[in-house]
Amino acid sequence: MNKIHVENLVFSYDKEKNAVDNVSFSIEEGSYTTIIGHNGSGKSTIAKLLIGLLDKDEGHIYVDNEELDYDSVYDIRNKIGIVFQNPDNQFIGATVADDIAFGLENHQIASEKMQNIIEKFAEKVGMIKYLESEPTKLSGGQKQRVAIAGVLAMQPEIIIFDESTSMLDPQGKADINELIQEIHKESNITIISITHDIEEVSKSDHVIVMNDGHIVMNGKPEEILLREKELVKLHLDIPFALKFTNALKKENIHIDSCTTLERVVEELCQLRSKM
Amino acid sequence: MNNVALGKYLPLNSVVHKMDPRAKICAMLIMMIAIFIPAGYTGYMIMGVVIIAVAQLAKLKMNFLWRAMKPMLFMLSFLLLINLIVVRTGNVLFTIGSWSIYSDAISQTLYIVVRLALMIMITTILTATTKPLELTLGIEDLLKPFKVIHVPAHEIAMMISIALRFIPTLIEETQRIMKAQASRGVDMENGKLMDKMKAILSLIVPLFVSAFQRAEELAYAMEARGYIPNRHRTRYKQLKMKGMDYVLLIGCFSILGIIILLSVGNFGLI
Amino acid sequence: MPITFKNVAHTYNEGSPFQYAALKNINLDIPEGKITAIIGETGSGKTTLVQHLNALLLPSEGELQILDEKIIAKEKPKNLKSLRKQVGLVFQFPEYQLFEETIAKDIAFGPKNFGASEEEAFAIVKQVMPVVGLDESYMEQSPFDLSGGQKRRVAIAGILAMDPNVLVLDEPTAGLDPQGAKDMMDLFVRMNKEFHKTVLIVTHDMEHVLNYCDEVIVVKKGRIEKQCEVKEFFESLDLLKELRINPPAIIRLRELLIQKGFHIDSSVLNIDDLAKAVANEVKHYE
Repeated sequence: MNKIHVENLVFSYDKEKNAVDNVSFSIEEGSYTTIIGHNGSGKSTIAKLLIGLLDKDEGHIYVDNEELDYDSVYDIRNKIGIVFQNPDNQFIGATVADDIAFGLENHQIASEKMQNIIEKFAEKVGMIKYLESEPTKLSGGQKQRVAIAGVLAMQPEIIIFDESTSMLDPQGKADINELIQEIHKESNITIISITHDIEEVSKSDHVIVMNDGHIVMNGKPEEILLREKELVKLHLDIPFALKFTNALKKENIHIDSCTTLERVVEELCQLRSKM
Repeated sequence: MNNVALGKYLPLNSVVHKMDPRAKICAMLIMMIAIFIPAGYTGYMIMGVVIIAVAQLAKLKMNFLWRAMKPMLFMLSFLLLINLIVVRTGNVLFTIGSWSIYSDAISQTLYIVVRLALMIMITTILTATTKPLELTLGIEDLLKPFKVIHVPAHEIAMMISIALRFIPTLIEETQRIMKAQASRGVDMENGKLMDKMKAILSLIVPLFVSAFQRAEELAYAMEARGYIPNRHRTRYKQLKMKGMDYVLLIGCFSILGIIILLSVGNFGLI
Repeated sequence: MPITFKNVAHTYNEGSPFQYAALKNINLDIPEGKITAIIGETGSGKTTLVQHLNALLLPSEGELQILDEKIIAKEKPKNLKSLRKQVGLVFQFPEYQLFEETIAKDIAFGPKNFGASEEEAFAIVKQVMPVVGLDESYMEQSPFDLSGGQKRRVAIAGILAMDPNVLVLDEPTAGLDPQGAKDMMDLFVRMNKEFHKTVLIVTHDMEHVLNYCDEVIVVKKGRIEKQCEVKEFFESLDLLKELRINPPAIIRLRELLIQKGFHIDSSVLNIDDLAKAVANEVKHYE
């Protein structure tokens, strides 16, 4: 079932050039979708349109078959959580507990119930020991975990990660990616991740490739990541596994083109045992 | 920066730290009123003893209170000088050349010194024992009754807490930009006036650009998490008055009462 | 003209309750004319280390020799300006240091601070802009109208315009997309190969270390954990694991294959060599 359906979406910041230009796509309920494309291709704009932070110029956005418009925006926003790029600029509370509480306060959850909810989700993201910590005492990765807890506490059906790991160090990146995978596995939350990480793309269910406000490719990562020439033309990374299968071809070793290292190793082991 | 005592929060574990910020703010206001009632030195002695006792309860060192008062010393010596020149009543204490020093000049200055010292001690105890966030919560609650006359209590509190939240971030940012510009040859201390103006500009412009960007992103983040200005929100941190808070308030009212009695007595009405 | 650290320590807020020893007993020789990567976890002291190179921070103990300048703990450095001109330091997210009305003026700001005349400065601007991939049509534009990646180019041009001998970059590719990051790294390689600058890059990206750098310095908890050639660094995975560093894809593939019983030498560092080694192995079974 389609969780999100977008039709002929158009948006322009300056009324001269369309940042998002006639874009249509659907996202399946419970799926993990990645959106790639270089900076300025319109990825983040789409995220802000989906959650109603920006007003579309033309087209339609449907969430659970309900059209997003002036009247429905608050209801729909209750279903969607978003984690932004800069950990510092989305930490609103004075402490971790206060920050997780911020969304609950907006949703008018009774004060007595908050402590339990806060502890539950702080535990979930591994920040239970830091409930009283101030943001200056936390690393970027920890702040992003708090942001995720804040989003989860509002029990969303969809979470958008807008380059949530791009400002983090490798440990922070790995931690957050792991957490996202875990959320995806354990719940039926639909995940949309805007990313530059080809490895994350290769593990996702569905990838949308953007360029200059348009969708240029849309489909399964196993297929799209093999369209080498197109990816190179768009100045996007191609998976290392694919580069390696190409290098093997030069050595006269032919295995199926793969998008992940694990697949390459499997293929080579099979090949070895055949010989 | 680390040596400033006035307005600084000290994370200690004391009875005073645990008190309700609303009670503490009210206590401060009551004591301020008491200070401004002319009750003679007996009154100030009582208040002084009580305030120092509270500071002891709050585990604040006398040295800390003294440091909070230091910045006022300059102002006070200036005041003394003016009083010595202007006040020409009371007994002549001594004469330097043709210049006489009157007793009232000394006693009036002393009066002001005592009042100021008491006020600074009270505010210092409040800020040293109450987290900035708790202060904001306290102010929000105390302003609530004024909603009738359209005082946006919640919005004011939200603004203060966001400002408090971003002060450390912006200080860090300032230091970073200063270093970045120093790497481009900016010298903030030496140089001609024009160069200095440029140096300041090279700090201020990037700081504003980044602050505006932060503000924009923060606004998006708040909106995305369901914040709608002017709409009712519940509150996670609830303030609760406990026994000690009532003791504090009753104590403050009693002192106010004593001061009023003393003052009335001084004017010979009883 | 060497860069050496001798028993250098740096302590923040010395003598206050917030005292924090960020660097401890650093002894270091940074090779000239090479590209050196400085790596380590967040908070390990990398940024503190590089800020000593142009005397933004002064050592609490020990001494530094940076080109012809000597910096000794507790002594006021003498030729601060000349040192800052010779060692160009590019901060993380340098686009946040732009402030002038036009791109040309912003790039000229550094040279003018170091005594260049208006004409000289603008001559330099015209030389530097194409190096970072901006043509002359950008000169009169406002830097604030550019995209994030372009802003960063302008900021880096502003440092290159000072014509430093040593170029120090603190996480220069953070927040860029892969293409932007690649362009940036290509620029630094060019600065090194063509203009013979000594380049130091603080980075978290092991692909960049492997593909663009000559030497590696590992900082851990305020100390130098290791300094060696890139080739040697990626031979042993133990140190990478200990440092919780995710190795480059090629190394991960190499190790996965070794685990599955492929006989591959652990000095294999590029894709063609790995393909050859695998081909040999598979054909061996024929």
